[in-house]
Amino acid sequence: MSARQTLVLRVNDTEHEVRAALHDTLLTVLRDQLQLTGAKRGCNHGVCGACTVLVDGRPVRACLTLAHTCRSAAITTIEGARGIADRLREAFEQAGAVQCGFCSSGMVLTASALLAARPAASVEEIRAGLSGNLCRCTGYRKIVDAVRAVAQGAER
Amino acid sequence: MSALKQLHFPQTPEEAARLLARGDDVRCIAGGASLVAMMNLDLVDPVELVSLAEVAELRGISATPDGGLRIGAMTRHRELEAEARLAGPLAVLREAAGKVANPPVRNMGTIGGVVALADPAADYPSALVAADAVVELASERGRRRVPAREFFLGLYTTALAPAEIVSAILLPPAAPGVGLYDKLARVAGDHAIVAVALSVTRRADAGIAVGRAIGGGAPTPVHDPKVDALLAQGRLSDAAAAQAGAALAAAADPTDDVRASAEYRRLAIPRMVARAVARARDELERAR
Amino acid sequence: MSDQSLIGRSLPRVEIREKLTGRAQYIADLYRPGMLHGALVGSPHPHARIVSYDVRAARAAPGVRCVLTGEDFGDHRMGAFIKDEHAIAKGKVRYVGEPVVAIAAETEAQARAAALLVEVRYEELPAILAPEDALAPGAAIIHEELASYFKVFEAVCGGNVCSSTELAEGDLERGWRESDLVVEHEYRTAPQAHVSLEPCGALAEVDAAGRVTLWSANQSVFRVQASVCESLGLPMSRLRCLTPRVGAGFGNKMEAHIQPIVVKLALAAGRPVKLVLSREEDFEIVRARHPFKVRVKTGVKKDGTFVARDVEVLADGGAYADDSPGVLGYSLLMARGPYRIPHTRCRGTLVYTNKLRFGAFRGFGNPQVSFGTETQIDEIAARLGIDPVAIRRKNALGPDDRWFGGQQLGSNGLAECIEVAERESKWKDRAQLAAAPGKRRALGFACTAHISGLLGTGAIVRLLEDGSVVLNTGAVDIGQGSDTILTQICADALKIPLDRVSIASPDTDGSPYNWGTTASRVTYTTGRAVFAAAREVERQIKTHAAELLECAEADLELRPGGVVGIKGVPGKELPFLAISARAHWRKGGPIIGTNSWVFDQPTVDPKRAVAVGLPFPQIGVYSFGALCVDVEIDETTGQIEVRRAWTVADVGRAINRGSVEGQLEGAFAQGLGFALVEEMVWNGPRLANPTLMDYKVPTSREVPYELHSYIVESPDPDGPFGAKGVGEIGINVVAAAIANAVAAATGVRLRQLPMTPERVLRGMLAAGASG
Repeated sequence: MSARQTLVLRVNDTEHEVRAALHDTLLTVLRDQLQLTGAKRGCNHGVCGACTVLVDGRPVRACLTLAHTCRSAAITTIEGARGIADRLREAFEQAGAVQCGFCSSGMVLTASALLAARPAASVEEIRAGLSGNLCRCTGYRKIVDAVRAVAQGAER
Repeated sequence: MSALKQLHFPQTPEEAARLLARGDDVRCIAGGASLVAMMNLDLVDPVELVSLAEVAELRGISATPDGGLRIGAMTRHRELEAEARLAGPLAVLREAAGKVANPPVRNMGTIGGVVALADPAADYPSALVAADAVVELASERGRRRVPAREFFLGLYTTALAPAEIVSAILLPPAAPGVGLYDKLARVAGDHAIVAVALSVTRRADAGIAVGRAIGGGAPTPVHDPKVDALLAQGRLSDAAAAQAGAALAAAADPTDDVRASAEYRRLAIPRMVARAVARARDELERAR
Repeated sequence: MSDQSLIGRSLPRVEIREKLTGRAQYIADLYRPGMLHGALVGSPHPHARIVSYDVRAARAAPGVRCVLTGEDFGDHRMGAFIKDEHAIAKGKVRYVGEPVVAIAAETEAQARAAALLVEVRYEELPAILAPEDALAPGAAIIHEELASYFKVFEAVCGGNVCSSTELAEGDLERGWRESDLVVEHEYRTAPQAHVSLEPCGALAEVDAAGRVTLWSANQSVFRVQASVCESLGLPMSRLRCLTPRVGAGFGNKMEAHIQPIVVKLALAAGRPVKLVLSREEDFEIVRARHPFKVRVKTGVKKDGTFVARDVEVLADGGAYADDSPGVLGYSLLMARGPYRIPHTRCRGTLVYTNKLRFGAFRGFGNPQVSFGTETQIDEIAARLGIDPVAIRRKNALGPDDRWFGGQQLGSNGLAECIEVAERESKWKDRAQLAAAPGKRRALGFACTAHISGLLGTGAIVRLLEDGSVVLNTGAVDIGQGSDTILTQICADALKIPLDRVSIASPDTDGSPYNWGTTASRVTYTTGRAVFAAAREVERQIKTHAAELLECAEADLELRPGGVVGIKGVPGKELPFLAISARAHWRKGGPIIGTNSWVFDQPTVDPKRAVAVGLPFPQIGVYSFGALCVDVEIDETTGQIEVRRAWTVADVGRAINRGSVEGQLEGAFAQGLGFALVEEMVWNGPRLANPTLMDYKVPTSREVPYELHSYIVESPDPDGPFGAKGVGEIGINVVAAAIANAVAAATGVRLRQLPMTPERVLRGMLAAGASG
């Protein structure tokens, strides 16, 4: 068993000193040590997207990221996401884009990075951009509509 | 429970290679997308990991003196997908990069990681073979270059020697022509059932050179220079495409898995080759 | 309804903010002081006797606090219909992965590491992996004690047959004689995994008095309580079941999963224990949709009038009965579809096999039989040269018709559903639909119906001292939105703003009984109880107000904002606060409105139909639906793309329009997966694709953006504001409608799911429909 080693993680603009085993994923550390449970373990092999967090502004799979490889990165979780994420929250609420909510953290973060890169993303760009975040409840229509509503706000 | 005891952050490819030489249980970690998934599923259990994240030389895409491109091994799929210099015949690689998994995984995964792992279902191997790419390898003994066509040897098996890393992918100078990557998958982001990579260069003498390969569901990219010659001589005609498709289907040794049967793959290969060739021909004509 | 009515609006979910900020807590997010983590050892064999256990190494492993085997569990069995399942394998294992040993340790990693150290000796038995093999003479018997198991209905069972059911109306022989055309085909559907994004999990804690509190991912705290207590031999009063937020269910969290094991671990360890399944375990040991083999034979007149139908189902039940007898019976009840067919007989056999249990999954057998029945209608229409929509309309059940078996229909909006789907899809102009080069394209149509209802439900509405309200129903919101809908019903009934009502989280100690969030039932059954309980609160408010305002109760009315006043006298009114304060402190006692009821309309009218082995004497009221899809097929590969869809449902009355649409859209997407890509594949006895890498569900690129949902409102006389259920209906005929479109586009009739590129391309090549 690998011993725990000290690691400083910058999460949501705050530096946290944690003790993490070398094989611990970022997801494990965020959830078990920092009690940031907004990122979910849906599959633990990088397919479902429920564990999505932003590393240096880009969405990544926290379940496929070793915590110790994030030592110089800025990490944003759903708990700390602001700006576009807040506009998305409002849009998700209005569009009825949330059902069980298990995918919602990852959806909002992935969509916020998508809109940061392409503020006026089209429906097709949104469908492609969210294709790595599974939702089993909504059929995606209302999620795409919510993201598109924010994109249309940016067009104006 | 993980056996992992050390995580190294070398600064140069040679240093990374030296660390890898410490033993069989030392593995290289690039973007992590594949390796950590395998660790989570208890398929691998390394004792030491050598991260390439801080090796500056492995990052970025640059022009080579001969007019080609040098793609650092740590280049993310996302960067390749957006790389405008991957044009003409090299567009095969850009299209393949855009069809790897899904956007967040494309933020993590690297071309070097995929090439080194040689997952038979990955998108790059066939595209690199089609584009006539060369794989640059680094070790304590120095650098060496292996054409992509000779690099992929079998299921998860490559020409990589022990204690050697993939340092870069080298592409020939861009030329007029077209490149395309046609992928059939169950859903977006899944591994290919069958993929056809096609790279066509229009020559000054009005002849064409063709590189093409089948990926997905076979242990290695399926490629045959004779088939390329046949397509070139036949100027991408339907008849040449049919011959090429039949030859490649015969050469392929596709697998039976949860994605599709081997029989279906054999059925789909010539049909997808024909479509890819027809599309390339149309694009060449339009560009004329 | 006044302008201020909360009914019919697309109000945001009451819990939406916590879900969008990451604060919503699901089972994996709960932690208790001193909590241990659980892990399971699964059987490597599909069918074997357990000879002995060696758990010494596991017990000695770092961090391990408790190791339990089947020998530590008493001989108690659970099961919704047939009590055939121990909490953990005992004596025998019946599928690969079946839990045989459970471990609790200080960390999850330690528990999982210790699991690898357990040694179990087995004596292998012949494995039965196909239903046909289960029925073969001399087949190994999976449940030797089946005859002695307790059954909640008159099960017709024996050997490896878990349950056989028959439902018949009319005279089949006469039906065939009167038919001008008889068609018969066999259809096969694939096992589908629920893939709730949240894997199953549970957390149990024992208090100082030895009483257990259990949180788990579930669809019914009451079914959890019953199952755990049955399988551990505990009095139900010793177990309190609670629920965190649930990351969707679709049926796989209705009956027990690992809750009994986790409770036993906590009791044995004397510390809280949490166990959350990995995705692989969730695939391998929870439950899935039954694969069906369905033979459908239909007789019709030349003019398209349906005359007779004979249906025979063979369903693979897996290792334990679970909800399977219900699924089989329900599928047969649905096999006539929403049509008049005077002579119908539906028979089915459910068998045990050595696979994980199959059980409830959105649609509950309806998608499987409907794939056959709704595609056969198109075949008949083609043979007779009749438009597929016209033949459905011609035979559709009307408002005065009864359902198969004889139950009366209180409401029926089928005709309007068909009309809306036909109009919105521009069905009549479908010949003008253009396909892209290299593609074939066509529309496909299908109709359906589904129940909402079943079993017991209650509601408690309490007026607090300040006039605000707490609603308590025991119904678990699994993400479909019932907390919001029930709050809307309560607030609207009392004419108070939505934020004056809070909904209590389900708790077996404090909530009224609720059978569960299943069978599309919560809006209809619980909504009705909430409405009635709110009315009871209104009655008590008026009793107080009549005394205070010195008037007759009949002269009083509730006014918006929590006020009761005298009709026609604007100034004469009292806020709820004044009423409630009086009730709490001076007279009458705190105002509590309660209601409970059980659905009691008979499924079968014995004067009209004969039923044998049908496990539900009363089932529910009927919703109706129609679906049209626009499908494109790639000629090169055979791959199907659904470009547009129009899904329509008669839901009686939409309480929350956005939520109704969400159910229809989500059900469509899940049906799309069932139709095109989803299939659990067994490699011998072992599941070959228990990961999301190998088992694929539709992404945002496969589900069409043009997914249009339409609501038809044919109010049910007993439903709250006329509402009926909508949770399942949207999944039923997705596969059938797509298959019908594929046939229209290519001439290829697919009778097996999923409709993979391989099956489509082979069909096209055989038919000469593609180069």
